[in-house]
This record gives sequence, C-alpha cells and structure tokens, in this order.
Amino acid sequence: MSAPALQDAAASPPRAARRIDAALVALILGAVILWFAPVGMGRYGTYVLSLWLVMSIGVMGLNLTLGYAGQTSLAQAAFMGLGAYATAILTTKFGVSWYAAFGISGLLTFAVGLLLGFPALRVRTHYLAFVTLAFSTLVWLVLRNEQWLTGGTFGISNINRPEFFGIKLFGALEFHRFVVVVTLILSLALWWLIRSPWGRAFTALRENPVRAASLGIDTRAYTLLAFAIGSAYGGFAGALYAPLVEFIDPSPFALSQSFSLLLMVVAGGAGYLFGPFIGALLGVVLPEWLRFAGSLYLILFAAIVLALLVVCPQGVSGLAERGWNVLRRKSGGAR
Amino acid sequence: MKSLWVMAAALGAALSLPAQAQDKVKLVDVIELSGAGAAAGTNWKNGADMAAADINAKGGILGKPVEIVHYDTQTNPGNTRAAVQRGIDEGAYAILGPIFSGPIGASMQISQRAEVAQIVGGEGAGFTKQGNPYIFRTSLSQTAAMPKIAKYLKDTVKAGSIAVVWVNNDFGKGGRDAILPELEKAGIKVAVDVSTEQGQADFTADAIKVKNANADAVFVYLNEEESARFLRAAKQQGIAKPMIGETTLLGAKVLELAGDAANGAKGHVGLSTDAPIPALQEFGKRYREKYGFASDHNGIKGYMAVFMVKWATERQKKLDKKGLADTLRGATIKASEEPGVLMDTVIEQNGDLDRESFLAEVVNGKQVINTTLPRIKP
Repeated sequence: MSAPALQDAAASPPRAARRIDAALVALILGAVILWFAPVGMGRYGTYVLSLWLVMSIGVMGLNLTLGYAGQTSLAQAAFMGLGAYATAILTTKFGVSWYAAFGISGLLTFAVGLLLGFPALRVRTHYLAFVTLAFSTLVWLVLRNEQWLTGGTFGISNINRPEFFGIKLFGALEFHRFVVVVTLILSLALWWLIRSPWGRAFTALRENPVRAASLGIDTRAYTLLAFAIGSAYGGFAGALYAPLVEFIDPSPFALSQSFSLLLMVVAGGAGYLFGPFIGALLGVVLPEWLRFAGSLYLILFAAIVLALLVVCPQGVSGLAERGWNVLRRKSGGAR
Repeated sequence: MKSLWVMAAALGAALSLPAQAQDKVKLVDVIELSGAGAAAGTNWKNGADMAAADINAKGGILGKPVEIVHYDTQTNPGNTRAAVQRGIDEGAYAILGPIFSGPIGASMQISQRAEVAQIVGGEGAGFTKQGNPYIFRTSLSQTAAMPKIAKYLKDTVKAGSIAVVWVNNDFGKGGRDAILPELEKAGIKVAVDVSTEQGQADFTADAIKVKNANADAVFVYLNEEESARFLRAAKQQGIAKPMIGETTLLGAKVLELAGDAANGAKGHVGLSTDAPIPALQEFGKRYREKYGFASDHNGIKGYMAVFMVKWATERQKKLDKKGLADTLRGATIKASEEPGVLMDTVIEQNGDLDRESFLAEVVNGKQVINTTLPRIKP
C-alpha cells in the first residue's frame, strides 16, 4: 500500500537531495500556477479548486499517519470536523480572529490526536481502525447532539471569511488565493518534516517497527507524534473548510467522509508527497468532471476508482513512478 | 512538474463554462439524487421535468423554451454549494431546489449574492428567518404546519397526552422543536419524546417505548422509509392508539412501503395528489402514467416551482433575474390565472407560503382527505 520512496532516497544522498529540491520547486511552482489558475474560470471552478486544496490538506495529514507512519486511521474527517467547528464557534460566537482560531484548531486537534494516539501504542492495523472508527462516531454524535454549542443538526451558518492585512477575502478568487498560500505553507512544513530525521523515523516505523526500535528510535513518541501531526492537519483543513463553505453541519464530518479521505490517500499514492493532491483531485474534482454523464456519474466515478486500484494498488503516484522508472531505464539504455 | 501544468490546464478547460445565450429559459435544478435525500429529490426532479414539458408543449415562457439542468448534490452541503455556484456561473435564470435544510443553508448565500431567485422544497423553519430576499418555499413551513396539527390533536383526536417520535436530523429535529411549544399551548402532555436515527432499520425498541408510555395518540415525524418501518413495528407491538403525522406519514411512498400497517394513520397534509382539487388529482394521474409510481408531495413541489417561475416571468414580461425574485415576493398566485401552480398560493415577504391544506386518513391503503383547512391568514 505504501511506497518506499524515501528508502532509496536515504540510500543515495546526492541524488536524493536533487530529487527533494525538485519536489520543493514543484510545490512552489504549483502554488504559482494555482494562484493564477482561476482567472476566467468562474466562481464555480474557483470554488472547486479551493475545495480540492482544502481536502488535500486533510489528506496530507492522513498521508502522514498512514502513508509514512503506517497507522490506519478512520477519524480524519472527525478531526476536520473538530477543526471546522472550533473555527466556526470561535469566530461566529466569540469574535475571535480567524488566524487565532486556525491556530487553536490545530492545537486542539493535535492534543486530541495525542490522546487518541495512546491506544495506537497498544493496537495496530485493523484494531486501530476500530478505535478510530469509534472516535469518529463519538465526535459526530457530539457535533449533532450538543445543540447549545454546535447548532446540532441545523449547523452553524454565516461563517465569515478572514481578512488579510485589511484585504477582505469575501470573493471567491481572493479566498482561493488565500487558500493557495495556506496550503503552500502547510505542504512546505510537511516537506521539511518528511526529509528531516523525524520523517525518516516515521518511515522506519512503518517498514519495520521492531527494527526501528532496535536502532534506537523511540517508537512510542514517534507513533504519537505522527498521529498528532496528521490530526492537526485535519484540524487545519477544517479551519479552512468552514469559511470556504460558510456553513457547516455534522454531515460532512461523518464516518463516510473518513472513508472517502482514506480512499483519497490510497488512490493518490500513500507515502508520496504529491499523493494527497492527486488523491483529492480524484475524490473532489473527478465527480464534478463526470457530471456530463448525468445520472450515471457516481457509477462512472466508482468504476474509475475501482479500475485504478486494481491496475495500480500503489495509487496514481505509484503508477507515475513506475512509468518514470521505465522511461529512465529506456533512455539510459539508449545512451 | 509538467504534469502539474497539464493538470491545471485540464482543470481550467473543464471548469470554465461557456456563456449562455438568452434564447431559452435556463433553470438549474440542484437536487438530492443520491444520498439520504434521493427519494425526495427524485420526485422533485420528475415533477420539474413534467412542468417543463407541459410549458414547452404550449410554447414556453414568453415564447422561449424552458431548459432544466439537474445537478445532483449527494445530499451534501459542500456539493450543493458547488452546484448552485455552477448554476449561477452558467447564467441560470433561477435555481430550483434543494430540499434538505442543511444543503439549503449552505447554498442560499450564493444565489442571494448573485440576486437570483432560489425556489426550494425545504420545510425546515430556519432558512426563511435569515432575511434572505431571494429564497422561496414551495410548501408550508414546519412553523406553519405544526399549529394546525396541535389544533387537530386537541379538537378532533381529543388527545390529553401524546408520544412524539422524531428523526434526529434537521427535518425531524426542526419539526419536533416546532410542535412541542404548540402542544404545550394546547394543553397536551408529552408522555414520551423518542429520538430516532436517519436510516434506522429496526424500530422495535422505539415502538415498545411508545407502547409503554400509553399516551392517547402518537405523533410520528420521520422521513419516508423510516415512517413506514415505524408503522410496521408499531403494528407488530400491537399499538392501537391513533398514529398522527404531518405530510410524510401519509405520503405515497410510506403507504406503499408500510402496506396495511399504515391503515388508520391520520394527520395534516400540505400537498397531496388525493386532495379534492381536480388539478392536483390530474397531476397525480399524469405523473403515475409517466413515471410508473405515485408522486409524493415533493413531486408536486417540483412541478409548482417551475410554474412559479413561469407566472412571475409572464407578469414582469421579461427575463430579468432580479425582477423574478421581486415579482415573487409578496405575490398571490391564483390557480385560475396560472393553472400550473395547482392551488392558490400566497408568497410572503420572507419567502414563506400560505395556502390551504388538508386533514387526511389512511383507509385500505389509500389516503382519504376528509377536511380542507383554510389558509392561516385568509
């Protein structure tokens, strides 16, 4: 399911450095393209692009938990929900600025992730999935039933969009550009994290926990950390989702959405830096693309994802890497 | 990196939309065709399609044909918002739908900002109270319907105590919150307050709770499938107290699914193809012929929504989006002027409706209307 992208990176440092720099350049270039992409696209296209990026942040977090640290979590949507509700409640009911709310959402989900991470030390794989599944249901019930705080089934409406040094971000394009910047910052942070010793420790943990422990890696601390950082990314995504849609109710944070996020990680390519973007593209933009098929569009979507995973269990990124390797070998042979 | 360029370019191509010429009346229907609202949304969609076909057969609106594009919302607020935005970008003359209150709440600011009328099927109380002048209902709201139910319980059923069974979503919770104060005003005691889940399969435990409460009547406020399951469970538990509901409990889908367990259920009905109004019955007959099943109230709502657009457009004599909303606001549409609205309809300033409604009972698996209730403000 996960790719050993970083393993061979560690094996040959000079080439790895070059490749990671390429990733950095791609991230920045991607942000520049996305900054200008919505020009002439209309508000709908801009909104879908923004939604794609916001979901990408959530998927990035799960990619860290699952793809790099190998922990199967079914609670990412619940963490997004915690972040979204924390932001919505703080900004609409208490007049807190969005930036503070964004930070608090991240801290809150980090702390909750840390707490939830404790059972992760005792159980792994599908047992961990069950623990997170229970947590996910619990969060959803709290969001729905504690009406005094969360608005219950009626949700919270009229969530304001933030300002940026006096510039109002109410318009679709302005807010999209804001989302691009936030996404870039968060993906750069993750890029740094993954190539740092921490990231290598996460990967070691995924590949062989016993061996990692024998090499002196504190598996307990790193498992917890991976889980908590991944959860915080869920919280950050939620904090952007709330002002993007300007309305939240419990339904987008239900268990089914956690499954959907998991699908995005796997379909995009677990353990690849760009996997989350591709996965979220499949999960968010592809159904919109397929609308030309009328009432069949969801069936078509399911068929495409099914075919993709049958052909390439390592997701689109894995497929691309395989293709790239084949090409390189061919051109190498010609020389 | 190259793939990023390609991705962005492909996205741009796919998401940018061609400008629309004004040679037709383009309506965008943003509706629940999958997810929890699929049953309601499908009825609405069929109703709207039928209305467009009827209008086009008679030469369209101001000589221009009506074109309806349906976008599925998956009953998800975020997707609904995207779909409404898409409709606005495509130059929709008006937005039809959705039905569920959550998705309405998530999308109504979009049409408001674009100053385009959004004609929805929702019955939840909240969304017309937010001062949005571009939102319009196609049925009575819960706040309008519940006083009628409370009066019915007091005067006709003569209930002193009642069991309330509701589904814990925006629809059911809204209804419950609207009826409790009305029951209190009418001096009816709530013996038991039973919350159930959307998509719940087994209602045995809830039926036993209701039975043990031994109230004079049971008020059932669930979505279609759940209503049918509850009626069946109640019958199995031998509950003989009258089952009272509002529109959904007596709807066509519930009667079909509950079979003879629905017999004896009664209550208030906002819209019904069995109402003693020839236009409604005729609509019901044609719908059944065309789609092979009976239309519930959502089918009627979808049909009316398109005719509300037609009436207002012919009234303002031009295709002006903002003017459409201005014309609808505060209007009284008489069925004698525009037969397609099926019933005389008064639109209030906030988009709420006032019109006649009915009291009905299920006899031998059929809904029988026995009383027509007047408008709230006659």
